[in-house]
Amino acid sequence: MTANGSNSDFVLRAAALTRIYQRGCEQVRALDHVDFEVRRNEFIAVVGPSGAGKTTLLHLAGFMDSPTSGKLELLGRAVSDLTESERTRMRREAIGFVFQHFSLLPTLTVAENVALPALFARRPCQPRANELLDRVGLSHRSAHRPSELSGGEMQRAAIARALINQPALLLADEPTGNLDLDSTHQVLELFHRLNREGLTIVLVTHNPLLGKAAGRTLRMASGKVETDGLAVGKEQRGRAGGKILIGAEPK
Amino acid sequence: MTWWKLSIKEWRRRPLRTLVTAAGIALAAGSVYSLLCFERGYRQGVAGELDRLGAQILVAPKGCPYDAASMALHGASWPCYLKESYIKEVRTVPGVATATPVLMAAIYTDESTPTVYLGIEPDMVALKPEWRLEGHFPRQADELLAGSEIAFHRGWHVGDQITLPGHNGQTAQISGILNPTHGADDTFLFLPLSAAQRLFHHEHQLTHILVRLNDPNQLDDTVRQLRGCDAGLGMNVIPLAHVFHTIQSIVNSTRSVLGCVALLAVLLAAAGLSNALLMAVSERTTEIGTLRAIGASARDMFGLLWLETLQVCLVGGVIGIVGAFAGLRGLESLARMQLPFAPTGAFVHWQWWLAANCLGGVVMLGSLAGLVPAWRAARVAPARAMRTEI
Repeated sequence: MTANGSNSDFVLRAAALTRIYQRGCEQVRALDHVDFEVRRNEFIAVVGPSGAGKTTLLHLAGFMDSPTSGKLELLGRAVSDLTESERTRMRREAIGFVFQHFSLLPTLTVAENVALPALFARRPCQPRANELLDRVGLSHRSAHRPSELSGGEMQRAAIARALINQPALLLADEPTGNLDLDSTHQVLELFHRLNREGLTIVLVTHNPLLGKAAGRTLRMASGKVETDGLAVGKEQRGRAGGKILIGAEPK
Repeated sequence: MTWWKLSIKEWRRRPLRTLVTAAGIALAAGSVYSLLCFERGYRQGVAGELDRLGAQILVAPKGCPYDAASMALHGASWPCYLKESYIKEVRTVPGVATATPVLMAAIYTDESTPTVYLGIEPDMVALKPEWRLEGHFPRQADELLAGSEIAFHRGWHVGDQITLPGHNGQTAQISGILNPTHGADDTFLFLPLSAAQRLFHHEHQLTHILVRLNDPNQLDDTVRQLRGCDAGLGMNVIPLAHVFHTIQSIVNSTRSVLGCVALLAVLLAAAGLSNALLMAVSERTTEIGTLRAIGASARDMFGLLWLETLQVCLVGGVIGIVGAFAGLRGLESLARMQLPFAPTGAFVHWQWWLAANCLGGVVMLGSLAGLVPAWRAARVAPARAMRTEI
């Protein structure tokens, strides 16, 4: 039994996940029958060219959108069974988000930004926010505004915010897209540390460094998963004793 | 971190826009409050003034009844006079409880306000049950009753022998000083009628007669009989309730016009507020999407926007109402010059219930104006927080 009340070994499971957008009279198949599973404590990088469907996958995984068809489960609960408010609760309780542009509110201090999701959850937040700022090495910056922080510091603050409600899954959308090399290393190190501490991480990136650093890489193209396996540079093989967890055949 | 603080910080992000929006609301709240406060104060002031006169009917020389009422209430030199003999006829009309003769005259000395003398008889006290005085009512020709305000300003006390203002060499003794009535009586000097007639060389003449009825419901009957008596052709019988209603109806028409202006201000403020919030929602779409993505529900976003509306309405409303009250003294002075009849003393007073009602009204209207922006904020999809790439 986990902290989130699920007995499943899988945090996320998708079967034949399809998302079709209507753009004028044209239909865009952003995701096309994607199957994948994310186990607890995995660190997965989703890579691929623009338009491959990475962000759509992240939207669906984060319960921010609904699939056109197929099945998606988070901690054993199918997205199709949930009402809008239940989805909001799942986003709040089970998922942490990290965005490319940090998305910190400029009017709030770093500590207030970190505490924000706890406010939505109606929980006391400040002690936990201070603890998280300490963990990401920003306790000395807690009273500063985001504009007074470097890019790396802003992203670490955003990561602390994502962790405040103790999520089971951290979703990151190009988390190093706006960072220099030093900051990228710092963020990457932080992700590794969080993963070692038991957090499941799925990130979408164009950054090969992150792709290599993740324990498992999903390579996407044209709305499908092209390959799924250990990071580039390592032997291409499935995890979990050689069992292929992704339905799509590697090309 | 609290919802209230989160909302305040949002307004502080764009201080100029917040200022302009709050100013619009302040203007609207101020317009409504000043209009209602002025209207109520004026109505109460006029009613109180007529009530303090103690009479239901004013008998005056022929001429404009409103001028006559204004002169009788505020004090002035009258251009024409009644014969003193009329008083006997008035007193015999059925329904008349008390009819007391008055000779009024104003002396313009160097001071900005004239000194008003009233020649009266002791039965005036029957019309003024609220009068309380130190000393006694004038019994002799050289005695004088002074209003509280004039006595205070001139430093007079009961028993003082004084020179009558505007009448060099003529003296009188202060037999009594009225306690404050908060009306024009506070500024008047009261002499025995015969003494006043001699002083102003109007022997056997009166400026007006104040009539109190046995039964105020018989007003129309008594007025008809007064107009029908022998002296009726020589005097103007003015029912004061009719004067009050006429004055009120004139003021009401002005109020209606001003009310339309105030309503317009309120609607414009509501539109301005709605527009400012819609702009804010539009500019903050990504940010709202982020809040939704990190756990805010649609209801949270609706509530946050509604709270922002509430805050700006409260601030604008309070500033507008307090500011309007501060400016009402100026408006009152202006109105005194324009209105056909204005009560003595300040008639605009701070009214808590009115201020609370105006503030409540502004907040309610603001909340309505904030509904659409709040609804739009609630509808922002969490996916808007992300890049638009698919």
